[in-house]
Amino acid sequence: MKPIESTDDDRYPLLGEAGRRMLDFLREHLNAPIFRNQSGNRLDASDLAYVRREEAAVLTADTGWPCNGYPEWLDDFVAHCQKDVPYYRNHPFSTRFEALPTFSRADLSRDIAAFVPDPVSLERLINFQTTGTTGHPLVIASHPRVAAGYLAYHKRALRRFGVTLTAGRGDVGVVLIGFQQNCFTYISVTPSMDEAGLAKINLHPADWHDPADRARYLAALAPEVIAGDPLSFTELLAIAPELRPKALLSTSMTLLPGLRDTLSATFACPVLDLYSLNEAGPVAVFDPILDGHVLLQPKMFVEILDPAGNPVPTGERGEITLTGGFNFCLPLLRYRTGDFASLDFVRGEPLLRSLEGRACVRFRRPDGVWLNNIDVTHSLRPFPLARFSLHQRADSVFEFSVEGPAHALHDANNALARLLGPQAQIEPTPFPSNSSAKNLQYSSALPGPDS
Amino acid sequence: MNHEGPSLERLLRRLAETPDDFLTEPHTTSGKGIIHVAAVARDMLALHGIAAADLSTLDPDDSSSARRRAGVSLLLCWLLADSQLIAGKIQAPALVQLLIQGASELASQNGAARYREDFERREELVRFALARLDLRPSGESVAQAQDRLTALSSLERNRVLAASREAEARSRAIREALARKAAQESADKYTRE
Repeated sequence: MKPIESTDDDRYPLLGEAGRRMLDFLREHLNAPIFRNQSGNRLDASDLAYVRREEAAVLTADTGWPCNGYPEWLDDFVAHCQKDVPYYRNHPFSTRFEALPTFSRADLSRDIAAFVPDPVSLERLINFQTTGTTGHPLVIASHPRVAAGYLAYHKRALRRFGVTLTAGRGDVGVVLIGFQQNCFTYISVTPSMDEAGLAKINLHPADWHDPADRARYLAALAPEVIAGDPLSFTELLAIAPELRPKALLSTSMTLLPGLRDTLSATFACPVLDLYSLNEAGPVAVFDPILDGHVLLQPKMFVEILDPAGNPVPTGERGEITLTGGFNFCLPLLRYRTGDFASLDFVRGEPLLRSLEGRACVRFRRPDGVWLNNIDVTHSLRPFPLARFSLHQRADSVFEFSVEGPAHALHDANNALARLLGPQAQIEPTPFPSNSSAKNLQYSSALPGPDS
Repeated sequence: MNHEGPSLERLLRRLAETPDDFLTEPHTTSGKGIIHVAAVARDMLALHGIAAADLSTLDPDDSSSARRRAGVSLLLCWLLADSQLIAGKIQAPALVQLLIQGASELASQNGAARYREDFERREELVRFALARLDLRPSGESVAQAQDRLTALSSLERNRVLAASREAEARSRAIREALARKAAQESADKYTRE
């Protein structure tokens, strides 16, 4: 087992001179923000070879399956799950795929260890933490190869928009932007792109010595791609409209067409609306010509299910349910995402229509300051809550529903009260019995809370 | 136990009617005893359409434990020659594993004669063998078959307990690995959800 604390050798095992210079540039730039965390690519030579092989396969393979049929790889995948994954081993045996049980985020939250296949070595396990919008805090088991694998799916998506990534030595490949009170920020390099730079920054002024540094730093980095969410891109519009990346990658929240068009016009580049989950990685990208999200993963089977778990006819709306994926630490067998769409086939290619992702919600404090739901999530992150939700009524009163150990409930209530301010009225509210859908975690009846 | 096999009654009857020849003292590597276990096993596997490679480990030495194991292997050979089992197209590795490892486990509890004569032990052997071949008696659910086997067999109870302990240890190790600071630092992705 490796030491508990990471070193730079762990974070960047393949770091060369160009990479070292890039890290220095990103960290020590005159206008650099306060980087609050550390991370790295963690890739060794065999990992890099694996990532390159996988990328080549992802860029050339077809996605999809015959309408009303199944992908060829499905039987082998189900057999692997039932043999090697403790959670699926307990499933009743069935030769009919639709008879296999489904599961949801709550099941992952309850015991993530049961989803890690027996053959997976634990030596290099990493995690991605998310509280998401379902109210089920989640730690996702993953691996550096999986994290690095995201890029292949982004390249596949970008290719659809005529964009080819070429960043290399001395360039900054991507800047990931957040706009939150608290944000995980760090710098790194991408070995598969000749150590092009990567920075994850927070546009919130609290993370900068001078708010004006934000535009200067971004201009100096001139990233090939900027990744963020509708909130952070809205801020980017205000502070650095002169940037000219090749593309913007939007994830995490619903990207409304109006904002997408504004972003595209301002930054003179395509804006990709990615449907991406911590549990599955980038699943699909919105194609405006087809008016739907096209799938990105060759080994991902998508079903649309009704509330009882039965597949709905092609074209009918239901819950997006995933099987497959490239995270070998978390194979998904009929995973109900909590997101909704209908499935269509265009020229034989499956397409998600009218995808309803997670909505962004803003809350107004009594002093008039607006907070977004991620700030609420962050304020509650330290506490071992089973689930929680927050609703602001039209009279500005907050209804807070939370479940967890007694001591955590007390601490969580105090943390929320600190975030919302001393004048805020917070009413403890039990969960409604039908509160499993994602969009129930955050809601507001105030005018103008959605961005 | 994922697949249905023959009925329990059919296999219990077959086992109860095991010819005495199959309870004859096994031929040992030093030349004692009569019946050549490896040869009988080869014939049984041939009925399943399997050309067995080296089965010499089935022939016991003179130790009592080895001879007892070989006796149980012989009994299993008779059971596994059932026509419905043959029609089930069982894979060679599962059959060979049952004749060697499975027989050894069974023999640690009882000898072949007891498995034929005693009703409960007979049922234990039949259910044990089916489970090792990923089969369950026809008409039973997986849960019913598992419950009945666990109730009958101390071997199965021990196996379930050991598997449960192993699973708990693995689960704990995963949680600890995910809680390490290095794991919490995570790794680069081009986007974050």
